[in-house]
Amino acid sequence: MGFLSIDIGTILFTLLNLLLLFLGLKHFLFKPVNGILEKRQEEVDRKLQEAETAKSEAEAEREAYTQKLADAKEESAEMLRKATRRAQERSDEIVAAAKAEAAAVMQQNEQELERERRRAATALRGEVSGLAVAVAEKVVGREINQADHERLIDEFIDSVGDVQ
Amino acid sequence: MKYIYMLAAFAIPKFLEGPGELNVTGPKIITSFQIGSVTINFTETIILEWIVMAVILGLCIFLTRDLRVRAVSKRQVIAEMAVEAITNLVRDTMGKRWLWFTPYIATVFCFSVFGSLLSLFGLRAVTSDFSVLLSWAAVTFVMITVTKIRYNGLGGYLKGFADPIPVMLPINILSEVSTPAAMALRHFGNIAGGGIITALVYYGLANLSRMIGLQVPILTVGLPAVLSLYFDLFADFMQAFIFIMLTMVFISNAGPADDEPEPESEPGPEEISENAA
Repeated sequence: MGFLSIDIGTILFTLLNLLLLFLGLKHFLFKPVNGILEKRQEEVDRKLQEAETAKSEAEAEREAYTQKLADAKEESAEMLRKATRRAQERSDEIVAAAKAEAAAVMQQNEQELERERRRAATALRGEVSGLAVAVAEKVVGREINQADHERLIDEFIDSVGDVQ
Repeated sequence: MKYIYMLAAFAIPKFLEGPGELNVTGPKIITSFQIGSVTINFTETIILEWIVMAVILGLCIFLTRDLRVRAVSKRQVIAEMAVEAITNLVRDTMGKRWLWFTPYIATVFCFSVFGSLLSLFGLRAVTSDFSVLLSWAAVTFVMITVTKIRYNGLGGYLKGFADPIPVMLPINILSEVSTPAAMALRHFGNIAGGGIITALVYYGLANLSRMIGLQVPILTVGLPAVLSLYFDLFADFMQAFIFIMLTMVFISNAGPADDEPEPESEPGPEEISENAA
């Protein structure tokens, strides 16, 4: 055959071979390799997606924890404030009660004292009057009206004033 | 390999027979049969094509055996790199819409490279048969035409021949036909010419050795190997690459650019009225 010949048979067979090799390459090289590349891409995408999800989840959790921590701080501060206030109130109450008690005791004491003083004054008055009557009896030698004397003495004492 | 073959095929017989002549012939016809009035030749080229196909497919099957998503083998890395390289080349040259065309480009590239490299093994390069290149270029031509008709309509395609003025019709037809013809001839010429030059150099060196009285054609060592580096390795890859690049560029240029919208089938009523106004 000539060096630069155009042969219809060769052309037909070559086209057929070209088609066969095309199908062969498609089936034996491109399909499996592209399949595996796609699979790898999918895996990478999935991993990225997972990482993204995990990140957002962690973010949300962090947010929640921060919120909880702030809440807890707020709560503890509130509790502290309440306790302080209650303690203050309680101490105020105690002090007030103590003061009131002390005042009551003082008053009672004063009353007692007054009463004692009165009793003593009364007793003294009685005795003085009796004594005066006896002295007068002795001096005068006669009996004077006890009642009159007592009245006189009382007047005397009153005019002299209180012992204090 | 080639050197050994050449030594056996040319040097020794020529040494024994004396200076002969170097015949440059086309592929041998193995058998031929008639279909109607057409003679179908079954040539050496087809057998060689089958060898090339078997090698390529065998390589593919070998490389894509036991593919894994992780912990990939070296074979798989090679397969993935090859597929990604050719895919990226098609995407960059033709645009995304032509990605489905990638296996064909890979087919032509592999066929061309391996077909040309047959010469390294002392076989006739598949690509030094013009009919083969013509077939491949014909596919490119059909793809160009189909793409043009698809995007411009049959009327638009035919009108394109009378563009810009009807006088250009013969020149336009010529330019349309010359595209695949030039592609086929360029590839064929490079590989076939390289083969002829290599054969001539061997032949010449062998005869030269004899002329200066050497018993063994020692001069055939060295120079042909260097030439083979260019004519077999470099030119083979170069021509395969040029062929697929031209195929991609011509076909993608036949359609609209990637970022342009798809052509509208019919202009809407508003557009018509606007045009009329």
